[in-house]
Amino acid sequence: MAGKSGREISAMPEGGLKSKLLSWEGALVLILVGVNILGVSISPNYNITNVLREMPRYLAEIFMMFGMGYILVLGDIDISVGALVCLSGTVTVLSSNAGAPFFAAVLICLLTGLIGGMLNGFIATRFTELPTMIVTLGTQIIFRGIAEVLFETWGNGGGTASMADTKGLMLLAKKIGPFPISFFCVILVGIVMITVLAKTTFGRKLYAIGSNKTAAYYAGIEVEKIRFICYSLLGLLSGLCALFLLTATFGSNTTTGQGFEMEVIAMCVFGGIATTGGKGNLIGGFIAAFIIVCLRIALGQRNINTQLILVIIGLMLIISVLVPSISSALSANKKKKAA
Amino acid sequence: MMLFLGHGPKRHFMIMIMDERRLDVAEDLILELKGITKIFPGVKALDQVHFQLRRGEIHALMGENGAGKSTFIKVITGVHAAEEGEMILEGSQVHFRGPRDAQEAGIAAVYQHPTSYPTLSVTENIFMGHEDVKSGMIQWRGMHARAQKLLDSLDADFKPTDEVGSLTIAQQQMVEIAKALSADAKIIILDEPTAALTANESEKLYEIVEKLRDEGRSIIFISHRFEDMYRLASRVTVFRDSRYIGTYDVDQISNADLIKAMVGREITDMYPKEEIKLGDEIFRVEGMTRTGYFKDVSFDVRAGEIVGLTGLVGAGRTETIESICGITKPDQGKIYLEGKELTVRKPQDAMNAGIILLPEDRQKQGLILSWGLGRNVTLPIQGELSKNGFNDEKKERDIAKERLEEVDTKAVTIFQPASSLSGGNQQKVVVAKALAQSNMKVVIMDEPTKGIDVGAKKEIYEIMGQLAKKGFGIIMISSEMPEIIGMADRIFVMCAGHVSGCLDRSEVTQERILELSMEKSGDRKGGKAS
Repeated sequence: MAGKSGREISAMPEGGLKSKLLSWEGALVLILVGVNILGVSISPNYNITNVLREMPRYLAEIFMMFGMGYILVLGDIDISVGALVCLSGTVTVLSSNAGAPFFAAVLICLLTGLIGGMLNGFIATRFTELPTMIVTLGTQIIFRGIAEVLFETWGNGGGTASMADTKGLMLLAKKIGPFPISFFCVILVGIVMITVLAKTTFGRKLYAIGSNKTAAYYAGIEVEKIRFICYSLLGLLSGLCALFLLTATFGSNTTTGQGFEMEVIAMCVFGGIATTGGKGNLIGGFIAAFIIVCLRIALGQRNINTQLILVIIGLMLIISVLVPSISSALSANKKKKAA
Repeated sequence: MMLFLGHGPKRHFMIMIMDERRLDVAEDLILELKGITKIFPGVKALDQVHFQLRRGEIHALMGENGAGKSTFIKVITGVHAAEEGEMILEGSQVHFRGPRDAQEAGIAAVYQHPTSYPTLSVTENIFMGHEDVKSGMIQWRGMHARAQKLLDSLDADFKPTDEVGSLTIAQQQMVEIAKALSADAKIIILDEPTAALTANESEKLYEIVEKLRDEGRSIIFISHRFEDMYRLASRVTVFRDSRYIGTYDVDQISNADLIKAMVGREITDMYPKEEIKLGDEIFRVEGMTRTGYFKDVSFDVRAGEIVGLTGLVGAGRTETIESICGITKPDQGKIYLEGKELTVRKPQDAMNAGIILLPEDRQKQGLILSWGLGRNVTLPIQGELSKNGFNDEKKERDIAKERLEEVDTKAVTIFQPASSLSGGNQQKVVVAKALAQSNMKVVIMDEPTKGIDVGAKKEIYEIMGQLAKKGFGIIMISSEMPEIIGMADRIFVMCAGHVSGCLDRSEVTQERILELSMEKSGDRKGGKAS
């Protein structure tokens, strides 16, 4: 039945190749290429073999980026994940040193992350009036605190513990051709996470909640259940991150994972995911993550000071966030001149 | 302006118009706008509009949504600069470079939802930007006293130290009016002030506005409610499609003529209520109670019936409905759908059973404004349409297109954001969203025509009529008496959290509804003064 005016409303999706190329993701691909050209031109050692060799310790963070992307799309934030990586890693190392077989240690690692995430989710969904920034600031301190207590109680003191039996980890650190196992894992997890967010009803619900929580609730979406799932998922991925970090570090200390939460949020934001919720996609975050990883490796090879690298990444982040406002200001100016 | 455009015999004609204007000046105009044109990228928001405001008059400005009223107000208050035209304030031409200029010239605006600072006190809001400062220190005591004086003059029932966010919308508007008075505004613009007010609160606002007029201030009053205009204004100016249509004396224009001026066509039969043979009872609630909100509410709906639920704002209508739909949890009460008892614990329970709510606040509760229309329509049913959890975008687009066309949404594509539509069309999207839920049995519409224009209102009524014809049970919550009397088969009136009476279509009058809406003096000692 058409309306009485017989007005037609188009349902043809717009877009196509051109708009895809002009999107932020298109720009990110160009930046990634640019960063790699930069890497090759400033460092003689910047080649695929070396990059892949240095990659594992950075790759671990990308697991968390996917989970953080979900949380940001919801309009929430979780700054406890760096500490959760530390806790998961510590628990794993200590339990392995206490005699747990490797597969049990892996399970403990993932479970610690999952439980930490569930704790965040529980507090955030049970006490919805609390800002999640504060909730996860609290759990951040708690997670790191527990890790420090564990070092004191069961470790050899000094706030650091090394894995005595590294056979299992060596297995995980293996390569298939030039590619480390973690690289494939990141790609695999990435494909699943990107597809779920972009193509499924679950993903659509995340955008609905992030865009207008009240309207989503009135439309019958189980807002708090979904938030809980996302926090738990991010926790699990933090555990995964801790595990793969161990394949590069073979130990844990009180500063493990420090600042990871901010780097992961930076990857998401650089990838075009808005911290206000409801906007962006993980493909952008994925490419942005590799931009940051490649940049760090390239600058690291030139022995550029780590702090300076942070300054550069910080600047890139701010510029990327400014791009939309700059371009809209430019187009507004153009229109003004035309009018 | 027009003078320079004229040639030959035409010029003569223009001069004659000039002369008429001169006569108008003699009748003490405080504000005059001539040939105002405002262009936004791609649209002429105002096209050569005129407006004359006499000193000490209440002048209504009416027109459908999108007619250009808001833009016009923003030109007067200096928010927008007009491309063409001139503005004459007390005989001399003025140019506002920004809102501050307009404020200093004595023009103040009060909006429907006051844009105040909710976490600050009443005093701070009133004197924001022009605090009383002596040697770098804010003189709180003096400012509180001045604020109290202003509030007293408005007969306000709150204190200068109260936090604005804790006040009702009516009280917040009073704060804005006090703010205008503190700046000694000569011209006060009220932009749809009664849209969010109860009948009592509106009455109080009317009294304040009349008092302001009697003090010699001039008032521009924008409203969709005809009762506002009849109650207050002496003249009314109508805009339509960004153009000036005319200015009329309120007591000399008939309602029908005014509607024709606003809509551009005649609206016969505003309420297209058809006689429908009612079916069996489809929906019933018994003894719904939520402590502090409503008590022992019972009513029933038959298939094809439109049941009205009315009462003053705050009587517990919306709260009752929200409990029925699982948004809040009631303490007691039973819900029966088609004779079977239904347990509703969360919104999706009600939706799955076929009870569909069109929430009161379409922008916050009904729609995701940043989303395309299509996605909004299919949001509640995306799960049903999906294949193994994956969205079926093609099917979603088809359903969205079909439903949006069915309710005749004024839209170009289903991908345009909901925020790009006017209020009436946004409401149609909310209706389309309900229609997309194929299991629908009972529709609950909470203030379905709030803040939308006459033409769109009628279309919503028509849709309601069609739904009734198809045998749905319809519950309509409304504060607007004419529409509830015009559309409902039976009307349940709520008062202070309980159902105070049920009126049949044949016996209903405004007076009887009002009588049932008001608390009886026996209910509470020293009840309503008015």
